[in-house]
Amino acid sequence: MRKKAKFNWSIWLIFLFFIIVSFVMLLPLYYLILGSFRNSKDLFRFGMDLVIRPELMSLDNYKYILFGDGKIYLHWYKNSVLITFLFTISSLFFSAMVGYALGVYNFKGKNFVFVLVLFVMMIPLEILMLPLYRLTVRFKIINTYSGVILPFMVSPLAIFFFRQYASGLGKDFMAAGRIDGCTEFGLYFKIMVPLMKPAFGAMTILLAMQSWNSFVWPLIVLRTNQKFTLPIGLSSLMTPYGNNYDMLIAGAVLAIIPIVIVFLFNQRSFIAGLSAGGIKG
Amino acid sequence: MPKGSLGIKSFLYSQTVAPYIFILPFLLSFLIFFLYPTINTVYMSFHEVYGMGNMNFIGLSNYQRLFNQNFYDAIRTNTLYTFFLIIILIPLAILFATLLNIKYLRGRNFFKSVLFIPALTSIIVAGVAFRLLFGESEAAFMNSILIRLGFPAQRWAFSHSTGMLLMVSLATWKMVGIYMVYFISGLQAIPEELYESAEIDGANSISKFTRITLPLLKPIVIYALTIIIFDGYRMFGESYVFWNEGMPGNIGLTIVRYIYQQAFQRNDMGFGSAIGIVLLTIVLTINLIQLRFFGAFKKEE
Amino acid sequence: MKKRLALLLAIVMLASMLLTACTAPDTTPKTPGEDKGKDESKAAEPTPLNFWVFEELHVAFYKDALNSWNEANPDRPVELVVESYPNAEMHNKLLIAIQSGVGAPDIVDININYFANFLMGDIQLAELNRVVDPVRQYFVESRFDIYSKNGKVYGLPTHVGATVAYYNMEILDKAGVNPDDIVTWDDFIEAGKKVKAATGIPMIAFEVSDQRPFWPMIVQRGSDYLDKDGKVILDNDINIDTLNRMYEMMYEHEIAVAMPGGKSWAEEFFPFMNSGGAASIVMPMWYMSRFLAYMPDLEGKIVIRPMPIWEEGNTRSAGIGGTGTAVTLQSKHLDLAIDFLAHAKLTKEANIRIWEMLKFDPPRWDVWDAPQLQEPHPYFGNEKIFNVMLQMKDEISSPNISDLSAAAQDVVKQNVMFRALHERSMTPEEALKAGAEELRSLENK
Repeated sequence: MRKKAKFNWSIWLIFLFFIIVSFVMLLPLYYLILGSFRNSKDLFRFGMDLVIRPELMSLDNYKYILFGDGKIYLHWYKNSVLITFLFTISSLFFSAMVGYALGVYNFKGKNFVFVLVLFVMMIPLEILMLPLYRLTVRFKIINTYSGVILPFMVSPLAIFFFRQYASGLGKDFMAAGRIDGCTEFGLYFKIMVPLMKPAFGAMTILLAMQSWNSFVWPLIVLRTNQKFTLPIGLSSLMTPYGNNYDMLIAGAVLAIIPIVIVFLFNQRSFIAGLSAGGIKG
Repeated sequence: MPKGSLGIKSFLYSQTVAPYIFILPFLLSFLIFFLYPTINTVYMSFHEVYGMGNMNFIGLSNYQRLFNQNFYDAIRTNTLYTFFLIIILIPLAILFATLLNIKYLRGRNFFKSVLFIPALTSIIVAGVAFRLLFGESEAAFMNSILIRLGFPAQRWAFSHSTGMLLMVSLATWKMVGIYMVYFISGLQAIPEELYESAEIDGANSISKFTRITLPLLKPIVIYALTIIIFDGYRMFGESYVFWNEGMPGNIGLTIVRYIYQQAFQRNDMGFGSAIGIVLLTIVLTINLIQLRFFGAFKKEE
Repeated sequence: MKKRLALLLAIVMLASMLLTACTAPDTTPKTPGEDKGKDESKAAEPTPLNFWVFEELHVAFYKDALNSWNEANPDRPVELVVESYPNAEMHNKLLIAIQSGVGAPDIVDININYFANFLMGDIQLAELNRVVDPVRQYFVESRFDIYSKNGKVYGLPTHVGATVAYYNMEILDKAGVNPDDIVTWDDFIEAGKKVKAATGIPMIAFEVSDQRPFWPMIVQRGSDYLDKDGKVILDNDINIDTLNRMYEMMYEHEIAVAMPGGKSWAEEFFPFMNSGGAASIVMPMWYMSRFLAYMPDLEGKIVIRPMPIWEEGNTRSAGIGGTGTAVTLQSKHLDLAIDFLAHAKLTKEANIRIWEMLKFDPPRWDVWDAPQLQEPHPYFGNEKIFNVMLQMKDEISSPNISDLSAAAQDVVKQNVMFRALHERSMTPEEALKAGAEELRSLENK
């Protein structure tokens, strides 16, 4: 009996600890949301406390973005959505194919290709930023969606993940498919792809998040305001010269709301996907 | 049936040909977007390159220019940043993971989600929030706390130490949830019986933690270490959000920002490439050391 | 089987669809761009001209010029599409756009800090001599020089940027200091001590992550970062002495402080100055616009005087800073853009508007005695501001501009000032020597 009482006490301490931790973790977002309802010029100059003050709050910033002169923001939103969508779909399509082949087939040069995949995984893209930039200029895909998407579409990380997943699938499915007269490609699309569904789920989240939040590469490729994605557009507002903070803060809030909502409904795939992102990066 | 369709048919059914078709996208992407740029960046590093213009061979000049204070400052920023992330992020993530792994803890799924949410934000959004919190004015949140505690208000982005604090706290806030998840999955892989038999031997919670949990988490620690180092040396956004208008005294100057600055502000792509090659060397060396020491390749097979 | 073949075809089509789906957006936006060419021939349709600025305050001025242009040229109407970006970011964007041949605007405001970067190699800015040469004689000549290379002008000046001292009379009066008695920097320091003793307020605030008043201070003494031939002289004796004196003002006489935010254009600086945080600043004339826009509480309290001098023979001002407005060769309407720009910046009326709307000192001196410029200004102590200008007309020296100018300013702003005056990790001499060494390594390249 005594032991149990002591146990509860420490559990409550831990509970309290996490309440505090949660407060700290949510604070920046709370602050951001609170700030989005305030006159943001004053915010950066005079700061803000944590108290909700209805008399200082208004929807003006949001009105500005959605209906007012800040409409360029909606362009950025559209670009972000489209680029994320196109990138995720095409990256899944190609990366899954490659990963699958590396996982289930035995062929000459397989190990070599796999080592190449691992090698590419180990090189940060930032190193190739300059030659890739020159390449996009030469291919005339600078300032286009293709310029953002193509260089990183075949994702070594996703290949790796699909390979791991595919190699764990039973070979008897394949044998059965072949007996049914499937071609190798029919086999893949009809039988194996459905079997890899969980892997697709996790990778969709990973790739979509990667694309939605990616910053360095779009910063270089996207040249005009009309083509910016959200992170690039928002970063172009971080200036003391302009009076853009109204757009900046409310825009930042609107940029995270959809992800947080999707996250709350699909926590498992998010956690699976984003933790896969760390596989030997 | 004409002969041609037979050829296609055997092609479609061939288990020898199929894998090559499947891996074709990777090979193409590798050649165009990896191998060629890599060779190109090495090539450029020996040349004077202004924008898209012509190249003049200048031998090792670009590399000689690397021996300057700015570059040392950049390496120092990355190294310190990586170091702080290692000593803060890993213990913190282990602590959270261990505590949240206690089954009786009320609301632990809620806490997990809360810790994870920052990972969903883009670096720019997170940066805007942190710029607000760490504003220079006395009424900005962090300064108002300092003042209440009797300290003077800080110009956070204006000294090396507080500048580092900004970047490290932003990164910690954003990433601790992900690392926590790694460790939770590591913890769940530890068989329950180990703890039970330790309990029979009379071990308390702390000795269970140090004798069983920590050693068995070692692979995850190594894994986390690798990623932190990798990300630490390529860091860009955490610095960009605080000093997008320039970096007084090179506060927040990182290797990648140095590349960006030289190539896109000073128009000097050759020198930028040389910096890139150094970064490549650093990252590869670290990876090779990791692989050698821990045989990570084999483990993951 | 045919079915399988169809499947393969479908895959290939899907794959190519995905690829084309990505490339499609490339072509769509270009179409309106090509249409622009036709627009010009159709008289009534306004031609859109893209315009990038890094300073929001300039936008209203150009909108005004746009209206008068469209009134005067109904046959060639223009529509301005203005985008404003952060200072550093805009110039990076412009450089990339110019390198890559894609995405540059028709017209762009280029900060003098970066202008030299755009005059290297194959110049992608349009030559403006056609519109400049006829009016050159009326302008402060050096303001064209800073945007020129080999006799060709690539940017139109926005102002002279004559550096002056802005004194807050409310503070000076409390200490019984008369700004007209301040002739030398020694006088200034003495006055500063009185102000500090009487009010506890620092006499002046310095930029520590930008370059004022250091740059005008050395230029008024005949020095600079680079000499006329572009050689690095950043660490010469005059500069070392000047920076030492600034250091002494901050840490020995304690009459100077670093500006909050480190620069005169930081959002933290405006409320500081607005609430009487410092008794004076030394900034170019164009800074009047910032007083008017961001420091409403100082109305009527600010007076403008020439800069103090260091020694006999110094000039009492220096033309610092500047925005050169340029036309890029990527423009599809080169002539129209150049003509519009000339209308907006070179005419007498335009130069009067520069004063009226922006409160900048117009580069065309033949308007300085125009009634609009001679009108006393209530914000600035109800004084006739351009009398100060006319007094110093021949004393406004401009800095030397050459290939290394942008790099030199970067080095001073980012490293020299910060390390010597704020962080104090180096003495002024060490900081200048280190900066000069860095520049020389670029020079030798």
